[in-house]
Amino acid sequence: MNKRNTLRRARRRTLFPFGRAIFVRTMLLTTLFSLARNGFSQEIAEYFRTRCTSCHTIGGGRLTGPDLKNVMQRAAANGKDREWLIRFMQDPQAAIQSGDAYALKLQRETPGNAVMPTQPDMTRQLAGSLLDLIEAETKLERSQFAGSPISLAPFTPEDVQLGRELFRGSQSLAGGAPPCISCHAVQGLAALGGGRLGPDLTLVNERLGGPKGVSTWLLAPPMPTMQSVFKTKPLKPEEIHALAAFLDHSALQGAPADMSGPLGFFLLGLGGAVAGLVLVDGFWSKRFRSVRYPLVHGQQQEGDE
Amino acid sequence: MNLPLYLDRALFVGLPYAAISVCLIVSLQRYGWRMFTYSSLSSQLLENRTHFWAMVPFHYGILAVLLGHLIGFSVPRAVLAWNGRPLRLYVLEAAALSFGVLALIGLAALINRRLTNAKMRAVTSAMDWLTFALLLFQAASGVYVAVFTPWGSTWYAAVVVPYLWSLFGLNPDAGVVTQLPLAAQLHIVNAFILIGLFPFTRLVHILVVPNPYLWRRPQIVRWYGSR
Repeated sequence: MNKRNTLRRARRRTLFPFGRAIFVRTMLLTTLFSLARNGFSQEIAEYFRTRCTSCHTIGGGRLTGPDLKNVMQRAAANGKDREWLIRFMQDPQAAIQSGDAYALKLQRETPGNAVMPTQPDMTRQLAGSLLDLIEAETKLERSQFAGSPISLAPFTPEDVQLGRELFRGSQSLAGGAPPCISCHAVQGLAALGGGRLGPDLTLVNERLGGPKGVSTWLLAPPMPTMQSVFKTKPLKPEEIHALAAFLDHSALQGAPADMSGPLGFFLLGLGGAVAGLVLVDGFWSKRFRSVRYPLVHGQQQEGDE
Repeated sequence: MNLPLYLDRALFVGLPYAAISVCLIVSLQRYGWRMFTYSSLSSQLLENRTHFWAMVPFHYGILAVLLGHLIGFSVPRAVLAWNGRPLRLYVLEAAALSFGVLALIGLAALINRRLTNAKMRAVTSAMDWLTFALLLFQAASGVYVAVFTPWGSTWYAAVVVPYLWSLFGLNPDAGVVTQLPLAAQLHIVNAFILIGLFPFTRLVHILVVPNPYLWRRPQIVRWYGSR
């Protein structure tokens, strides 16, 4: 028995010269570290893909926002360090309101002087990881974020018509997302107009720097409200092309939609409520009104006569 | 509108759990200890004319609107599918707004009745006034949000309902609701305040509505002896 145990220990020592427990712990830690590292960087790349590529490329030229290739070097040339970039990413509006010259320069270069939307989940750690990712992608000959799969084909009247139907909801979006009319208005849309949770899109082309900017925006909308919907129900490239065509066409309408839609809607609601009052009065026309009041009031009237 | 993160968490995560817990525990406690206080304490006997024009529109309006919120919460995809056509969206929204305005008119008449009639004022407690104030704010902000940030039936189902389900799944995610317009955020916060206050008010009558009265056979009641 003792001999067998001694043999077993000797075999183990050959396989695990520093002891089995240490070997297992080391393997476990290495695996966990590697998993965490790969998972983390993939997560950051996915974050960039879903949240940043609507306005930025890395080496693919400017969209609504600047091309982020060499962003650290450009910032350094303007006297800004990594810390400044992190603060800017966390709250772009605050950087602009502080009157910072570089932040104002970035805003001036953006079509329609648009401001980068604040991302509520942008922690210091996340901003730092995104900068690491941008730096790593900058060093590559061609970044995975250098371009987008949007179509740059010229718009046809059929595209505009399809875009209008998709916007209004008369044709459903393939991914199952609610139609644009739910939250956005556009001049000359329909009787009661579009929604107003999001901005009027009549002149969105100007704000996002043309149809290319609109298309990339739709590919990965950066606004948290839109993201909550389109993250799981993305638009198809042909839908994006049609919607960009419709919005390009809508820019010809001139001014954004006025308040006649909400006013008409309110009057409709008020009319419905008044109809409801008339209905309940008619339905309960034989209701018990009171005993004392007609007796006292009737007697008073008789006395007056 | 962006609030500081701690305030977002307090209002959209802490408050809902606190309110729902208080509502459940105190409602049960009150029913167990003071069952006979479960009443609307109706004042119909004291005044019957304005009462009709206040209570009937308010109740039908608020019940329809609450039912709409409940349907959106239960089957958001069905609501989104219904709203997929502009005409259907407009019909649903116009009907919902009509009921909302009806509730608001009824509530205004109800408050006016309590304010202008001495007998009504005598039977109205401080808690009643607080309930009226919160209900008025809730109905008015609901109508405001419906008119100025349409189309609420769709974005409620697509944006707010996932947040509400995240609360029920004990995995709260308030990220998106904190990006809604201020009026919509206040509407949500006020709703949770009302839920928390519910068991301390006469609103508890909602839990003991004598629904069987609707279908039971008529009863003749006679009293014997001195009562």
